Amino acid sequence: MTAAARTDNTTHLRTRRAARTATVIAGPSLVLAAAPLYLAPYATTTLTRILIFGLLAASLDLLVGVVGLPSLGHAAFFGVGAYAAAWTAGHSTASPMALVVAVLAAAVVSLVAGSVAVRSSGVFFLMLTLAVGELMQQAADSWASVTGGSNGLYGVPAPSLWGHVVDQPATTYWYVLTFFVLGMVVLRLASTSSPGMVLRGVRDSEIRMRALGYPTTRVKLGAFVVAGAVAGLAGGLLAAQQRLVTPADVGFTTSALALLAVVIGGTGSWWGPCLGAALVIVIRDMLGASIDGHGPLALGLMFVLVVYLMPAGIARFRARRNVS
Amino acid sequence: MAGINRRALLGIAAGLGAAGIAGCGNSLDAAAARSDDNAIKVGLVIPQAGVYTPLGLDIQRGWDLWLRQHDGKLGGRRVTTVVADEGEGPQTGVPAVQKLLQNDQVDVLVGIVSSATALGVRDLVTSARKLLLIANAGAGAITTGNSSPYIWRTSFTNAQVAAAMGAHLAGSDVRRAYAIAPDYVAGTEAINGFSKAYRAGGGTIAGQSQPPFGKTQDYQPFLSRIQSSGAQGTFCFFGGAESVAFVKQYSQFGVSRTIPLYASGFLVEGGVLKAQGDAADGILSTLHYTSELDNPANTAFAQAFRSAYGAAPTVYAVQAWDAAAVLSRAVAQVNAVDGDRLSKALKGVGVISDSPRGPWSFVQQSPRQNFYLRRVQTNAGERVNAVIKDLGPLDPQS
Amino acid sequence: MPTTQIAVTAMVNGLAVGLLLFIIAAGLSLIFGMMDVLNLAHGSLFLTGAYLAWWLGGEQQTWPSLARAVVAVIVVGAAAGGLLSLMTAPLSRRSHLEQALLTLGIALVAADILSALFGDDVHATEPPPGLGGTVVIAGWTYPRYRLVLIGVAALITVGVYWTIERTSMGALFRATVSDRDMVATTGVDPRLVRVGVFVLGSVLATVAGLLGAPIYHARPGLDTTILVLALVVVVVGGLGSIRGPLVAALLFGQIESVGRAVLPGLASFLLFGTLAAVLAVRPRGLFVLTSGARR
Repeated sequence: MTAAARTDNTTHLRTRRAARTATVIAGPSLVLAAAPLYLAPYATTTLTRILIFGLLAASLDLLVGVVGLPSLGHAAFFGVGAYAAAWTAGHSTASPMALVVAVLAAAVVSLVAGSVAVRSSGVFFLMLTLAVGELMQQAADSWASVTGGSNGLYGVPAPSLWGHVVDQPATTYWYVLTFFVLGMVVLRLASTSSPGMVLRGVRDSEIRMRALGYPTTRVKLGAFVVAGAVAGLAGGLLAAQQRLVTPADVGFTTSALALLAVVIGGTGSWWGPCLGAALVIVIRDMLGASIDGHGPLALGLMFVLVVYLMPAGIARFRARRNVS
Repeated sequence: MAGINRRALLGIAAGLGAAGIAGCGNSLDAAAARSDDNAIKVGLVIPQAGVYTPLGLDIQRGWDLWLRQHDGKLGGRRVTTVVADEGEGPQTGVPAVQKLLQNDQVDVLVGIVSSATALGVRDLVTSARKLLLIANAGAGAITTGNSSPYIWRTSFTNAQVAAAMGAHLAGSDVRRAYAIAPDYVAGTEAINGFSKAYRAGGGTIAGQSQPPFGKTQDYQPFLSRIQSSGAQGTFCFFGGAESVAFVKQYSQFGVSRTIPLYASGFLVEGGVLKAQGDAADGILSTLHYTSELDNPANTAFAQAFRSAYGAAPTVYAVQAWDAAAVLSRAVAQVNAVDGDRLSKALKGVGVISDSPRGPWSFVQQSPRQNFYLRRVQTNAGERVNAVIKDLGPLDPQS
Repeated sequence: MPTTQIAVTAMVNGLAVGLLLFIIAAGLSLIFGMMDVLNLAHGSLFLTGAYLAWWLGGEQQTWPSLARAVVAVIVVGAAAGGLLSLMTAPLSRRSHLEQALLTLGIALVAADILSALFGDDVHATEPPPGLGGTVVIAGWTYPRYRLVLIGVAALITVGVYWTIERTSMGALFRATVSDRDMVATTGVDPRLVRVGVFVLGSVLATVAGLLGAPIYHARPGLDTTILVLALVVVVVGGLGSIRGPLVAALLFGQIESVGRAVLPGLASFLLFGTLAAVLAVRPRGLFVLTSGARR
């Protein structure tokens, strides 16, 4: 892995990598872009939610799959982004500037939280991030003058681009898709860049990387902040689409579902987390609404079945984990 | 990577396929108008999973019972009810409403227990121009300020219920009261509604607490504060599991012997009263309904409800029953069941004089209704909220 | 109410809550620390115990119904522990994340089954005559059951501690953690030890449910609440020990009780604030024992 990290710096590889990034992202994106032309509004709305949740899961995968840090509080940054964007849209501007604010706010919060969290690992990292998420959710609940308390921020203005209001299922979808692709490119660059290779090295053997002189803690913190910032972007998109942000978007359930989407899809794979997110959203929002309250049961059965019956995605994950 | 890519694409295609159950066509035109036969499609949004499930069940029972007694028709039109699970909050509630509007293309929405969900679907309902009749959610903001012309409620506002107790208590010999409610919007609204009315009547608030919502199992720290506050009475607002824990501990720690408990009626309404057992005896509460109301409409309703479901009706069931009743009146007056016509019809609906809760009318799209002072006591071997006094009508407040 | 009385009430109460918390957390810590399985279905076991208490005893338990409930929670807890052991066995070499996914799935399924069996209402149950009601000592009123709970929970705590630290069974448990193959050479099947730990941990959870029923009341959602509390206690205490969770449970009992009384404005932030503070200072919990070293 370290050898790879070194040779990776050649221009040749870099060009190839950029080309591959382009194809990996461009192909599916083109297919996705055409979706509203063929789908009914409800399907498009659901797909929009899948993209948002998928971006959240993909940003979490940078931590889980690339750095080996499973977080149970990733929704904290998603939520910070969502609240920041909703607040900006309501008080200042509903343009994509709200997304910039979302990303910055999430980056700052993840920098603060990350500087404590990345020093721990394993289940302690899991619980520390859980605590961060719960504290943020409590803040969202308690700081009512800014967050609207338990009712949340509702009636968030729809985004507007050059005077055109983006509030129809198809236009909202394309708006979200655009930033989804942008977020995915950022994540892709972060994980394939030279620091990204260091990250993979840290995942596989932090001690060796440190011995080789890499500033492992700083690199991990960098990954934490990038993941947090992209989660914030996803949160900003949530505010734009759902036009409602509530404390639940910050809390444990959202974090856990995102983590599960990552595991289901196969950690460290490129589109895997988005796939996992699609499954989770389809089961929770589409199926769950119409089966007399057995949505949680359906989710639970899915988790159990995935663990037992999907060795492909999970086997890859296991093989890599055993390197350590 | 290429392999994963193909697999991923397949998966996305499968996801889209599943989403495609919704129907083909495209998302560029506004949803096509449904062919206007004589039927009406109602989306019932109620919690079917999670902590609010008992409320959802009562709402469904009230709704079903009304339809069953009226040949399954609202205002002469045949009704199809599509039920969707609201879950515990907007994360599941908003997608459920979205599904009913966009996928099932319902004409009218009824239900919603959580205030956050009700507020969260405001713009969705408004831009779809569909009527939403709220059968529970009590946040003041739902029908005040920047509210939607399409959202009406047949329930209450949190402040309204609490103010009824505030005004009553101010007129009693309790001069100093302690106010306690969970730390969330409904709890704050209840404390404010109570305090405003209580102070206006000359009472003094001896202190107030807001325990963490949904995270407090042990109220002892708060009970100690009440005991040392010098209050002559405690006003509280709790629901569900918290109401059981609070009422039991209020009695177990001996507070009830010296400082009587007064409450917004939800504390002792429905299934929780059974769980509270004798710890609830004697609790005075205010609400716009109790199964013990003595009027012809309620006698008939309560009897029908008991024989259908083997349980006493609750305020939640009545709110749904009344939603069906006013919707029926509105539907009877329009030639097409769209949100604009129905809202206009509701404006002219006037006083509903045959409700089990007594006469009520819409003021600012929320009920102006009578409140009753109720006391927990045992009638014929069953713990009920007996009517002590009719406190008269109150406007909705926030 | 005089200040000393308030302080005494809060501390006694914190002790009752803390000891109950320990019994829940001890089971989780055993399974987690010794078998390295992150069991997110632990809260469901507690809730099952609480439902059984209500189902067999109704709103007012009697001594015979309590005896039946004790037998029932032990049998059901043991069966559930065996089942969990079987279900997680194929995952023993996989990551914590996959175990978490599986056990969370089990917890969601269990919640649906419990809701189907017992309904969605809150089910309160009163302890049998003689254990319920209130005691009044010099004008100080306190629920008698909580004092009983302190006694019973203290006994169980001593029992668990003694079993793990002083008996040959406990030694076997600890040895299996340190060196699985070495245990196998002594002729003991490590798989049996695994089942044993799961059964013991699960029975502790269902027993805690029975003990906690009169205070926490069986209801949907209680499983998650309890699980999160237990996780916090186990992690703050440090993994793989009995002493760690005990100290942490007693600490959190006091924080929940005294902390909320002293700092009502921060009540909502106390639990996770403490967790974050402890882990920020000691990233591996308060007590780290070598016997429970992570793989």
